[in-house]
Amino acid sequence: MTKRTKLVRFTAALAAVCLTAVAQAQEVIKFALNHDFTKVYTFGAVEFSQGQRDYLTLLNEEGGIRGHRFEVFVRDHGNEPQRGIELYTRARDEGAVYFMFLSTPVANALIPRVLQDRMVLGTPLHGRGDAIVGEVFPYVFPMMATYWSQATRLLQYIDDAQGGLKGKKIAFVHIDSPFGRDPIPLMQKLAAQKSFELRTFAYPSPGNEQSAAWSDVRRYRPDFVFIWGAGNSQIVSVREAVRNGIDPAKILSVVWLAETDMKNLGESTAIGIKRAEVVPSGRNHPILQRILQKVVTAGKGVGDPAVVGNTYYNMGVADMLITTEAVRLALDKFGPPLTGDKLKAGFEMIRNFDAEGFLPPVTITEQDHQGGGYARVSQWDGKAWVPVSDWAASYQDLVWEEARASAAKFQQPQ
Amino acid sequence: MDFLFLLELFINGLNTGLMYSLVALGITMIYKASGVPNLAQGAMVMIAGYLLWATIALLGLPLWIAIPFVVVLMFLFGLAIERWLLRRMVGQPVLMIVMLTLGLEILLRGVGPGVFDAAPKRLDLGLGLAPLVVADVFINRAYLIGAISAGILILLAAAFFRTRLGTKLRAVSDDHVASWAVGISVERAIGISWGIAGVAAVGAGTLWGSVQGVDWTLSALLFPAIAVVILGGIDSLLGVFVGGIIVGVLGSVIPGYLDPIVGGGTRDVVTSVLIVLTILLRPYGIFGREDIERV
Amino acid sequence: MFYRQSGIYHTRYEATRRLWPIPFERWQVGVILLLVLAAPFYLSALYLQSYLLPWLIWSAATLSLTLLMGVAGQLHFGYAAVMAIGAYSAIHLVRFGLPFEFAFLGAGLIAALIGCLFGAAALRVKGLYLVMATLAMQYLVDWLIINVPAISGGAHATLQAPSARILFFSLENDLVRYYFALAWAVLLTVFLLNVKRTSFGRALVAIRDKDYAASVIGVNPFRYKLLAFFTSSFLGGMSGAVLAFCFYRAVTPEQFSFNVSTQLVAMVLVGGLGSVIGAFLGAGFVLLAPMILTNIVAMLSDFGWLNVSVNLLSHLPLMIYGALILGFLLAEPLGLAKIYDNIRNYFLVWPFKHSRR
Repeated sequence: MTKRTKLVRFTAALAAVCLTAVAQAQEVIKFALNHDFTKVYTFGAVEFSQGQRDYLTLLNEEGGIRGHRFEVFVRDHGNEPQRGIELYTRARDEGAVYFMFLSTPVANALIPRVLQDRMVLGTPLHGRGDAIVGEVFPYVFPMMATYWSQATRLLQYIDDAQGGLKGKKIAFVHIDSPFGRDPIPLMQKLAAQKSFELRTFAYPSPGNEQSAAWSDVRRYRPDFVFIWGAGNSQIVSVREAVRNGIDPAKILSVVWLAETDMKNLGESTAIGIKRAEVVPSGRNHPILQRILQKVVTAGKGVGDPAVVGNTYYNMGVADMLITTEAVRLALDKFGPPLTGDKLKAGFEMIRNFDAEGFLPPVTITEQDHQGGGYARVSQWDGKAWVPVSDWAASYQDLVWEEARASAAKFQQPQ
Repeated sequence: MDFLFLLELFINGLNTGLMYSLVALGITMIYKASGVPNLAQGAMVMIAGYLLWATIALLGLPLWIAIPFVVVLMFLFGLAIERWLLRRMVGQPVLMIVMLTLGLEILLRGVGPGVFDAAPKRLDLGLGLAPLVVADVFINRAYLIGAISAGILILLAAAFFRTRLGTKLRAVSDDHVASWAVGISVERAIGISWGIAGVAAVGAGTLWGSVQGVDWTLSALLFPAIAVVILGGIDSLLGVFVGGIIVGVLGSVIPGYLDPIVGGGTRDVVTSVLIVLTILLRPYGIFGREDIERV
Repeated sequence: MFYRQSGIYHTRYEATRRLWPIPFERWQVGVILLLVLAAPFYLSALYLQSYLLPWLIWSAATLSLTLLMGVAGQLHFGYAAVMAIGAYSAIHLVRFGLPFEFAFLGAGLIAALIGCLFGAAALRVKGLYLVMATLAMQYLVDWLIINVPAISGGAHATLQAPSARILFFSLENDLVRYYFALAWAVLLTVFLLNVKRTSFGRALVAIRDKDYAASVIGVNPFRYKLLAFFTSSFLGGMSGAVLAFCFYRAVTPEQFSFNVSTQLVAMVLVGGLGSVIGAFLGAGFVLLAPMILTNIVAMLSDFGWLNVSVNLLSHLPLMIYGALILGFLLAEPLGLAKIYDNIRNYFLVWPFKHSRR
């Protein structure tokens, strides 16, 4: 073998190595981010999806993660489990590693499947509240404060900043669906523990007519009113509350009350109303500024630029922030190609991740898939939501007790 | 105090019930003329709501011009549905025509939110939120005005049946063939009934849109409206009026007392039980006309 | 040409009364049966698990409803509730410790008993009023499921299907689930094809056509209407159990909501009232059209041929789907089965279109 052929061979080998390296760097990571754009979740799905896609576009503009770019499937599943299953199977076969459907019925139908296929299902702000138990739901990641943690955070806020819980009368006005009833057992336990009075008022789904419930609420003379609904039913709830002379500052809402809803309601209708929030709203953050600069102004954004920074938009951004952080950790530790198992491990390596101060510190472990359960309370000032408390996780011992008990029931048949 | 609670439930129930009647009015009009239960009436209400919102928000017209404008649009829309869809199904099994209205509902459910954006829209009639307070009874202004408008529209519809055109419509609802024989244009009469249903949809769309915002959920008003027509009798205007009141009042008063005991929203249960009982006791509704069948 | 009739001479009554007197149709049925039997070996998991499997199960449900709506003429707008009763009973019975085979039968029985209550309304009224009565019962059942945690499975209202075995095969296996659903669909198909040839079926048809007239000729409407509801609910409840165990594997109230009822009615009607092939076509259309349209529309947009907002893009399939229903009904008011029949009639005499059959 002459020196020359040796050299040629060496170069060829080198080229081959480089080529595979390049090929690896170009391997795209696929996310399936399907939504219900047409049925129940129409109130926020478009904004949520826009936030997710804009942030991934930003990452791609900035060179991706370790050279990997992102590709998304965005489809409408219309809140129907069978369509969600079809979309899941399709995306799985096309190599997607992360799935998010923003619909409780679809997520619930998918949980047995992802557990079997070892695929990661993100269920931020939807799905089962007990999916935070990592041992039982190893591939399901709620990753933000669940409805239970939101309810406890609101109660903690009353306890800390509104003169204590003891002896207070709290009206819990909710839509009569599994979602609306979700926090009741937990709140009843807390009511016994903290000795406050809790009464629940249900209005029938879809909640466009609630006058009977609110006539009753007014006569109950509650100190605080929780409203637990989504979309239109929240708007009707707030209108009825104001009409029945309840001070907006005494109304506390689940996370589903955002700029869009307030605009629909009339921006000055309920100044002072409070809500639980798990991500901040507004554009005053470096990440959103970068999105505005590199994505929206560059004409690469999807949808209406006006909604950038809205709560639902920021929820989408937050979902992607946490997930891409998990991707980064998984790639650093295990290298490509990314699989469901690696991504799961990546999620469970997230420690005190706050996305340049955008999020409360998120820590996900093998046991805790909630990320700590941090939430805060914010207040509507007529134009924007202003935080009135710090990020905190409240009564997590109770939340976990409830979640463990419920998760044990899930395991029972197996 | 407790009596006042009952009174408040009663009045608010009365008002909302009449607002359901407004949706039901369209169903009755069409059924009277053509014997077709229109399952797309809820979607027509939604389309009317969207059109009104679009005229105000996108074209910038004031409310008092926008409403007559949309009334005309929806009347034409009703005529068009009859002309292009229903007329071609004449003589087919009624069930298939019902399926056609269901298909129409699906189509409109896609078109409305698809074209105008699915996020809920605000429709402000300038009524304000302050309730009308009478001796600690809080009456919802929006519902009260809705109920009054519903009452007026039902009265207008009843008066309409006394006009020459209305008489023709009554003849058509009685017997298609006989009407044909005496020279009444049955097609035109049915078309006009669809147009009137479109107009009724504007009333319902405006009032319900102002209460809950305009989005696709307006089409879900179909179920309470159907409860109203079944209770009152599907071919009776008086039935629509009385049925609305009964559904509204019982659906407000009973849950008002039952909900705290059961711990759930029982309104739909009350409505459902009401329907089942009506059907078992009076199969043709309170004011409905009993069909006499011949072998 | 294809459905060649020349040279076929029936010399015995049994031969003319066969289900498929034309040899080509027997071949057709055989080939289709072979194709679905072999499906797991040539279809990818995607098409097997999320197209063919739900199609089979929904077809079975549609067939059960066809018995009631098409054969007996009793309208039912609360059929999803019947299926829900079957699904929840089956799961609770298996959890209680019953073997799956018995739980499956038990689910059918419970659904049938409660389904008869729906039928009670049918004894008083018919047509539109029956639609409303069944619809009201749908709401009652929904409310009960949501509001009784013992039924719905606790705070999240999700009930996992426990692991079970059918005969000797564990239902944890994808293949077993597919073949079980297939067997159930085939069984129902055979039942429905034959039911119209029994005295029971003929009595139902008599009631459908005119119940007064039927009672004049000695068919007891009370008995046969109740029997129709009983049988149909029995089969519907078992189809619900198949749906829960073979497809969803976790049941939630939303899977059996009012929308599903209207979808089932749409399956029967779009397919063609009372037709067996119509049940399959209708179920396929109503179930799969939204999925396929969503994918087609998304594909067009990925190619850049459809440059519209996300919102319009996601509503386009709904519009096309609605428009398709309207189009089919306007083109052929008797449903897809009639369209199939037209094609068959065309080929029956093809290419001699002018000749009468």
